[in-house]
Amino acid sequence: MIELKQVTKQYGHSTVLHQIDLTVDEPGIYCLLGRNGAGKTTLLKSIAGYQNITSGQIKVDGKTISTATLDPGVSYIENFARHFNLPVWKLLRIASEVNEAYDASFATEMMERFELDGKKKFNQLSLGMKTMVSTIVCLASNRPVVLLDEPVLGFDAIMRVAFYEMLTESFRRHPRIIVVSTHMIEEITKTIHKLIILDKGRIRFFDTLQALEEKAYSVSGLKKDVEAATANRNVIGQDAVGGLVTSYIFDQPPKQEASLEIAPLSLQDFFIQMVGRKGGIR
Amino acid sequence: MRATFSIVKRLLASNQISFILTAVVALCATTSGDSAVALSNGNYTWLLAGLMPFFFVFYDFKKLMYLGANKRDFYLGALISYGAIALLISLVNTGVHLLIDPLNHTQTVINLMDVCGWTGNPTVVAFLQQTVFLFLVMVFLHVLLSMQPHWYGWITDIVLVAIICIFTPIAPLRAILAGFFKIIMLNSNPLIHIGVCLGLSAGLAAIGLAVLKRKTL
Repeated sequence: MIELKQVTKQYGHSTVLHQIDLTVDEPGIYCLLGRNGAGKTTLLKSIAGYQNITSGQIKVDGKTISTATLDPGVSYIENFARHFNLPVWKLLRIASEVNEAYDASFATEMMERFELDGKKKFNQLSLGMKTMVSTIVCLASNRPVVLLDEPVLGFDAIMRVAFYEMLTESFRRHPRIIVVSTHMIEEITKTIHKLIILDKGRIRFFDTLQALEEKAYSVSGLKKDVEAATANRNVIGQDAVGGLVTSYIFDQPPKQEASLEIAPLSLQDFFIQMVGRKGGIR
Repeated sequence: MRATFSIVKRLLASNQISFILTAVVALCATTSGDSAVALSNGNYTWLLAGLMPFFFVFYDFKKLMYLGANKRDFYLGALISYGAIALLISLVNTGVHLLIDPLNHTQTVINLMDVCGWTGNPTVVAFLQQTVFLFLVMVFLHVLLSMQPHWYGWITDIVLVAIICIFTPIAPLRAILAGFFKIIMLNSNPLIHIGVCLGLSAGLAAIGLAVLKRKTL
């Protein structure tokens, strides 16, 4: 269980996380979405105890997390993590030795599935394969909380699909909290259980995809019709072209009328409306 | 403890360059044949004690964390490794002092064990004195290097440089500084020497733990 209470992180005068309250209490695959600079990496690193927060409290399974937590029970891997320049099989063996909970059979299986050449040294691997090694190490760690920071960077389309399968397989074997930060919004929807949208250091959305499917709609039509239909509803964005208006809502859909076009929002459109196309909360 | 010993193994294995460099220097170092005194090649084995903490702090820590190690196991592993390296260096230098230095009949061979006054004691005791002193040096370096990315590391550097610069030219202060080194290094009393070195090492290890608890990644 991850609990964040009033978490604020500042770098000098710049506030990266603003009084975040978040409770992740069920095992699942959580997708952390946010624009570049939204604070995703800072949030994940803080939960992992890799850096301290300025104020507030972070707890993982009841244990307060900071850099002083010698064993936080969290596995975190950042993109472009550099490992010892050793053959892949040796790296995975070291990982299994330094972490007693490590699932060596899962790591070996994934290594074979991704056709990772175990004899190749880490520095000889392509960027995608390096990231894959880091991801396997992180997922095989078997810690109660696994945090993957943009794990699909450098992956081609086939590797990304395989990665999502690996994520599902890992969760099936050991149900736990897995948080994945990514920009590949549409691709990951089949894999995840819940979505967290972070914007300018604030949590803008934290719910299931089902809630999103039930409540995220676009309503298009003449301005007066759209405004009448969306009155008293949670409008998250609006576009206007001439006299035609499209309102994006996160609420119960209005009643279908001939003058209105009501369509469900894709995750990507929902995300764009939530964080604002021109840079932030509106 | 399995994880800790795996870290020890990895720390030692990933720093072969330190061993090679030390071996090369120790084997290749020579003193002019014209000189009345010669430096023992065993002295150069102390170089290893100076090199290891750099690699542990700046190279191995992050990589081991990324492989799933935790800070507690890393720190314990580092301390055990320092102990093992101190034993190894001490063993080699004591061996050189006993077996190789006497082969030079034309020059007076100076071994740091003599300079420090440890060789007046039984060999095993001198070996232990050297071990605990080298352990202290490595723990000190580890703590000092771990502090470097932080403001208190820079303050510590300034304080250390200031102590050396101010204490050296002023006679009464110089006596204090010399007295300190006489206790931790140039000390022929094994009980006091070993006790002080272990006590200081324990104190520094506690400071090192506090520094580690603030270490970010």
